[in-house]
Amino acid sequence: MNTQQTASLNQVDYTQPIQHFTQRQSRYYQGHFTKIQTDTRLHISFNFFAALFGPLWAASRSVWGFFWVSAIAILISSILLGQGIWGEAGGGKLAQADRLFAKSQEMATKGQAALNNGEANAKAFFRNSDNLRRAAEKAVLAAEENAKGASQNAIYGGLLLFIIFLIQGFTANAVYEKQYCRWRQDPEVGSGFHIKALICGIAILAFIYPLTLYRFISAEQISWLVEFPSDKTIFNTTANWLNSMFDFLALNGANFFDAITQVINLFLDAIETLLVGTPWPVIMMLIVFTSWRISGYKAAFYTAIALSYLAFFGYWEKSMATISLLGAAAVICVVVGVPLGVLCAKNKTIDSITKPALDFMQTMPAFVYLIPIIAFFGTGKPPGVLATIIFGMPPVVRLTTLGIQQVPASIVEGALAFGCSRKKLLLDVELPLAKESILAGINQTILMCLSMVVIASLIGAEGLGTDVLQALQFAAKGQGLLAGLAILFCAIMIDRIIQGLFKPKEKTE
Amino acid sequence: MTTDVIQLENVWKIFGDRAEEAMQAVKSEGLDKATVLERFGCVVGIADVSFKVARSEIFCIMGLSGSGKSTLIRHLNRLIEPSAGLVKVLDQDMSALTPNALRETRAKDIGMVFQHMALLPHRTVADNVAFPLEVQGLPKAERWETSMHALSLVNLTGYEYRLPHQLSGGMQQRVGLARALASDPEVLLMDEPFSALDPLIRHELQNQFVQLTKNLQKTTVFITHDLDEAIRIGDRIAIMKDGCLIQIGTPEEIVMQPADDYVADFVKGISNLKLINAHSIMLAINDTTLPISIDKTAALRADENTSLEALIDLSVTTTLPIIVTNDAGQDIGVISKDTLLKGIKGEE
Repeated sequence: MNTQQTASLNQVDYTQPIQHFTQRQSRYYQGHFTKIQTDTRLHISFNFFAALFGPLWAASRSVWGFFWVSAIAILISSILLGQGIWGEAGGGKLAQADRLFAKSQEMATKGQAALNNGEANAKAFFRNSDNLRRAAEKAVLAAEENAKGASQNAIYGGLLLFIIFLIQGFTANAVYEKQYCRWRQDPEVGSGFHIKALICGIAILAFIYPLTLYRFISAEQISWLVEFPSDKTIFNTTANWLNSMFDFLALNGANFFDAITQVINLFLDAIETLLVGTPWPVIMMLIVFTSWRISGYKAAFYTAIALSYLAFFGYWEKSMATISLLGAAAVICVVVGVPLGVLCAKNKTIDSITKPALDFMQTMPAFVYLIPIIAFFGTGKPPGVLATIIFGMPPVVRLTTLGIQQVPASIVEGALAFGCSRKKLLLDVELPLAKESILAGINQTILMCLSMVVIASLIGAEGLGTDVLQALQFAAKGQGLLAGLAILFCAIMIDRIIQGLFKPKEKTE
Repeated sequence: MTTDVIQLENVWKIFGDRAEEAMQAVKSEGLDKATVLERFGCVVGIADVSFKVARSEIFCIMGLSGSGKSTLIRHLNRLIEPSAGLVKVLDQDMSALTPNALRETRAKDIGMVFQHMALLPHRTVADNVAFPLEVQGLPKAERWETSMHALSLVNLTGYEYRLPHQLSGGMQQRVGLARALASDPEVLLMDEPFSALDPLIRHELQNQFVQLTKNLQKTTVFITHDLDEAIRIGDRIAIMKDGCLIQIGTPEEIVMQPADDYVADFVKGISNLKLINAHSIMLAINDTTLPISIDKTAALRADENTSLEALIDLSVTTTLPIIVTNDAGQDIGVISKDTLLKGIKGEE
């Protein structure tokens, strides 16, 4: 049995698939592939056809990676070569020099005339003429330099082309063998010799080469090659329509937007009164104590340092304002984000709607959505909180969804098998198991909110961001750095405290 | 009330987007699995399975991976809904239960043990065991008391306040068993509970389990891919292949009379010394064509239920054939050394 197997293994004809794969010139590739596959060292071979007709060989053999790389490399070297041979490098400069010489001559004549007439400005004419002549000489020098550069370009281009031919020749068989190996795993991979593919390759080259070469080599340009035929009116009507939409919404939804503002304001006021109104030693003690209980004495030490920095440099009130803004935004993010994340994990439809919305919220530059926020909510702290929420919401939603989805199916099944209801499953199984992921999401959300502080201050959300903004306006480097450090310390403080929530297990064990 | 606690009648399960259509087609046209896959892109998980399990019986379902045994056991507590057929547990049609009634049945009447334990990693051992009781809404004190008792049944007293990951695999599985026993259910479902454990621990747990079920008298459906395990544990064994039950019988029936080559292949490696008894290999004593002469006075006697193993021990002490007696003490058969050797080899 065993001997039979080995015998049949030896009898497998490895050449057959190679023939099937290459179709044409199979004898040649058979030889090289076999050598590549049997050599323990690098097998060096040179494929003349691939060297000479690189992209065309690749196209006919459906090796499209090779096709694009070699087509682009050859295009670059052709541009260099073309610029060197046909390009009018330095031509512009020479023309400029001619003009300058003529001008200088003119000035000199004028100066001579003025001198003859005994006018006072003769000297000025001569000085101008001198300056112009010097400029002209510079232009001539530059032109010569360019001309030299042009011949250099030609040499580089030719050299590059030669090197490309060599590389093509030496790598073609190895690349083709790799494709053969992939084809053996997956018959969908391009194989054989196809005239259609060759024609397709030629068409691509015929489209790219003339236009690009013309653009880079010729001195004069055809306008449609350089400029896209864009239509201003489309842009204008769309922008105008959007404008009227915003106006319409702002007008008709005023009550709705006001209500949101009110709610946020109420919330924000409460936090701010608590943080700013309470005597600073009490707040300071509470924060240090909290960080000690949650994250240990090390974090408490950092927190104390950060807080004393804020206090000594006079940032206390501003940083408390910032933290209350941040706190309001973060709490709203979590209160909305965690349930939304759970819904996304449970319901595919909601997930497919939410995902692009989150991408949009996170990717859209903050300055862009500041505009509608101002339009709808005006300026001040509540719109600042809103802008912060938009930017900060995605991580907590995403990581909650991820956390719930990562709960092992076997554990969920186990809970269900004992009669667990859906509510209990969520509260007692899924959320506890997703806890770490959710906490990571909350941490991310808070830090992202903090990074919005400066931008939120643009629309009147006062706090540490305002100081940075002012420093930016007046180029006050020292002030800016100090305010920036204050934001940084706030971030470190919050991060340390929340990090502590991640590791309760290790402390107890 | 019948003594059958679990009853399955013509249960089918077809997986896929067009499962209902496929089920219709199977019913009306009697398609086979390959055709169902080809025409509907649906996989037949369970095909026309019927069996009954009596009260306090241990019913083993043996099959290789992919044979549908895990799918089948999940029908019993409706973790998977059947495409067709009847599933009755404790005289209740499982498919007809309302969600609330189903939850209650699962919590009270059916305990399940999983191959990968499926313990809640953030809860202590005691709280894991108490989970089914918690689901039923029992007060904390009662939950704790019961979970202590259940843990003592599986010899895990003293580990109540550990977390599952602090325990070894075997101990974790015992926690799983304790959880299944906590609400004192009538039915136990065991889904390859010992497969992921190493052989020594597995053996130990098997013995512990047999002892436990003997005392507790639970109706048990036990899934395994190991015929040795099935024979050691099961009162009856069902052999499953590609979603069909191909043979149901006692361990002895399975080993002695395999229904087809597939089963025969399985039982080939099984030692039959403990399974086969004197009755099944003896030659009838009143058979006139007996090739041996019997000395009724000097010959040793053995009960008809004596195992081959014991017969070997007996036969090395004598040169004479052994006489087999029935419960009434009458001589009913005879076993010579030839017969014994043939019996050990599995020849009739």
